[in-house]
Amino acid sequence: MRSAQQLLAGGPSHRGTITPAAWLAAPALLLFVLFFILPFGIMSVMSFLTGNPINAPDVALTTRHYVRFFNDDLYTEALWATLRIGFLTALAALLIGYPLAHWMARMHSRVGHALLLMAVIAPMLTGIVVRTFAWMTLLQDKGVINTTLIALGWTDRPLKLMYNEFGTTVALVHIYVPFMVLTLTGVIGRIDERLEQAARNLGASRLRAFLEVTLPLSLPGIVAGSLLVFALAISAYVTPFLMGGTEVLTLPMLIYQQVSSSFNLNFAGALGVVLLAVSLLVVIAYNQVLAHLAGERELR
Amino acid sequence: MRPRPIDAGNAAYLTLNTIVLGFLLAPLAIVAVFALNPTPYISFPPVGVSPRWFEKFFASTEFMNALWLSLRVAIIVLLLSTIIGAMCALALVRGHLPGATFLTAFFMSPLMLPAILTGLALFQVYLLAGIGRPVWGLVMGHTLIAVPYVLRTTLAVLHNFDTRIEEAAASLGASPARVFLEVTLPLIRPGVIAGGIFAFIVSFDQFPISLFLVLPKNETLPVVLFNYMKFDLDGAIAAASMVSIIMALGVVVLLEWLIGLRAYVKL
Amino acid sequence: MTARKLTRRRLIAAGTATAVGTLVPPAILKAQTATLKITTWGGKWGDIMKGRVLPAFEKEHKCSVLADQAFPFLPKLQASPKADPIYDVLHANSNEQWKAAELGLVLPKVGAKEAPNVADVYPYAVSDKIVGISIFTSAIGLGYRTDQGLRAPKSWKDLADPKLAGQRGGYLIPVNSLGQAHLMMLGKIYGNGFEDLDAAYKALEQLKPIKLFDFTGQMEKAMLSGEVTMGVIHDSGIYRYDAEKPPLEFVVPSEGVVALEQVLTVTPGSKVRELAHAYVDYMLRPDVQKELAEGVWYSPSNKKVKLEARYDARLFNTEAKVAQLMQMPWKWYNDRKDEIDGRVQRILRG
Repeated sequence: MRSAQQLLAGGPSHRGTITPAAWLAAPALLLFVLFFILPFGIMSVMSFLTGNPINAPDVALTTRHYVRFFNDDLYTEALWATLRIGFLTALAALLIGYPLAHWMARMHSRVGHALLLMAVIAPMLTGIVVRTFAWMTLLQDKGVINTTLIALGWTDRPLKLMYNEFGTTVALVHIYVPFMVLTLTGVIGRIDERLEQAARNLGASRLRAFLEVTLPLSLPGIVAGSLLVFALAISAYVTPFLMGGTEVLTLPMLIYQQVSSSFNLNFAGALGVVLLAVSLLVVIAYNQVLAHLAGERELR
Repeated sequence: MRPRPIDAGNAAYLTLNTIVLGFLLAPLAIVAVFALNPTPYISFPPVGVSPRWFEKFFASTEFMNALWLSLRVAIIVLLLSTIIGAMCALALVRGHLPGATFLTAFFMSPLMLPAILTGLALFQVYLLAGIGRPVWGLVMGHTLIAVPYVLRTTLAVLHNFDTRIEEAAASLGASPARVFLEVTLPLIRPGVIAGGIFAFIVSFDQFPISLFLVLPKNETLPVVLFNYMKFDLDGAIAAASMVSIIMALGVVVLLEWLIGLRAYVKL
Repeated sequence: MTARKLTRRRLIAAGTATAVGTLVPPAILKAQTATLKITTWGGKWGDIMKGRVLPAFEKEHKCSVLADQAFPFLPKLQASPKADPIYDVLHANSNEQWKAAELGLVLPKVGAKEAPNVADVYPYAVSDKIVGISIFTSAIGLGYRTDQGLRAPKSWKDLADPKLAGQRGGYLIPVNSLGQAHLMMLGKIYGNGFEDLDAAYKALEQLKPIKLFDFTGQMEKAMLSGEVTMGVIHDSGIYRYDAEKPPLEFVVPSEGVVALEQVLTVTPGSKVRELAHAYVDYMLRPDVQKELAEGVWYSPSNKKVKLEARYDARLFNTEAKVAQLMQMPWKWYNDRKDEIDGRVQRILRG
């Protein structure tokens, strides 16, 4: 078994020799070139133009959309808010999703496993808008949680659980925990249980066996899952829009506004380029950092 | 199977997991209430139980056509993305491509870009190319955002891969093709299946890309629901949700029976 | 095991083939009919359009109508080539039509030559504040719940009543035209006109805390469920629930009501321009106007429309009543939209 670092970096012992297996990437590359690079390329070009060339023939090159973005703290704050919500969502989803993934992976009963799988998948299919209304019902000032807390006497004023970053993050975590769980459960499931049992037999407590055996071995799943949730959370706009009220302004929300009500496709394109560039940087950095950390322990 | 002894650690583990499950399922319970509540706008607490929203949902040809289209598209996307994504994952891990880290991040990009931009960009390209908005264009748009999921989950499984099993099969005389088909593929199957489930759900529930790529009279369910919701915020949406959930769960159960998701967990 | 696998494999293969097969559209022998591409709202309006109005038009003109309901429409029009636009007729509110005209995506006027019924409309429908032609309008005023012990509001300023803190409703200004109209209205009542943004911003500050919504449907539901006690809403949004008799009332404030026009325009690149104009003409026909007006409580713009008594009483169906409607300077607003959006977002961010 290779170390995660080696895998992520391509393996020092095999540097330079591209194997035939590399050709398997061809369909994906074709798909991406046609349906992602081309449209995205057009969008990036648009972000440097003053108008839409297919409608207004007299467009000029300009950097004003980017200048506008960096000059206005409303926009740069939106970028930070987006990243912040992304990190928090990924972290929370990991903390909440790991125990469930572990339980599901170690579930020996077929029926139990199927039930858990359904319970995990069902929230993913609720549909973004209805699910948000459900959260509103739970988190609003007159919602279920607040009325219960007040009835129990634990608080006398309703807690502000909605129309802020907290409510947005809660709703996002709810949507993305299933993604985290499903990613993790496959990886954890492939960790041989006997390794844990061996550690236990050698005298380690359950907690120690988990920390020193299971957790490191599930690192690839943790990386995959948290990157996935981060990527999804930073591109979400319906949820922050409906849950955040006016207090939360993320870059995707700005993009949506620019497309659908300011009709400024050029500025929207610039915002998209900025978001994608920053996200790619974060993802690559995260990958490198974790590969570095994982490389410190040889995963055998 | 020796039963686990119930102790403090175990109890904490189970409690924690029950709370997490509760967190996941609470909103669903509320949606179920919405779907059965007869008031003409979604509200809580419920004033009664009524099947009228389910009736309205099933009686509407618009909803039914949309449901059917979403289902078909999701199945095709599932197939396409699992094949393309699994192949790509193998290439990234076994192909020793230069810049594999960057490529992996690149293939994740569609997830990081707000789908409204992806949808708009695809729309513009389709129109410029003069192909209009055919269903296959919609399928390709969904596949684009579904492949990263399959890629991610397959990569995660490949990382823990014990290549000695393949080497053992080869040393026993199996040809490379046979090793691939009878050893490699079944072993990465759990990751591919997990990715496939994502692909199906993501396509079925996808909204912003579909918004731009559907033709009138041939819209997917999320688009129809979103349009409906701008004017009528009633239980029909919740009923649609419940039906979607039940149906997709049915697909999952079918997959489990056909392909054996249970094989997922143990070698 | 092998036998079962074969069965399962066959099943999967068969299922896949079926799914793929159903996606390929059957080769229908279509008669050579023209296609008219339009946009339409959903909800009750969409039901009436798709159920009766559009099929009748299709029969009369031997064409087929492709009505897009997936909002937003203008971005799609923007992204399609001018010579082959994605719509022949665009139905939008006045603010969007002004933007579309500015981008050169729609023709600025529809004349009586192309659509004869245009000659019979009220002056507001073809005024210089309108691009294209307004086929209906509603009035933006205040709605309130009658069961909360509130005095009926008499002025727009009543919305700022401190007792209503957190219970009043408005719209997300960057994305909603009622919100934008309300902002300009604030400039008029607290300042010296629609264009007095400073007064408007100050007044907006005073309205906090306020619940903000994305579209009118949400506001309607919020008022029905009691989340909002008083809000900015158009008369159609209150009256359409007439049958259920909820404790809601619409009020025409003393300072006046704002017109929320439903406007049609034709795209210059349309390949079926005559048909497009025929459609505009059709939508202005008194019988079609009556059906839609009574279906969704919109005020028709054709002078010759005779509504039933209960609609007639409340809608703006005479010269005198129509004159009350104030039209907003959308071109002026659109020119400043970006800075207004930024400013408003800062104010409401708290």
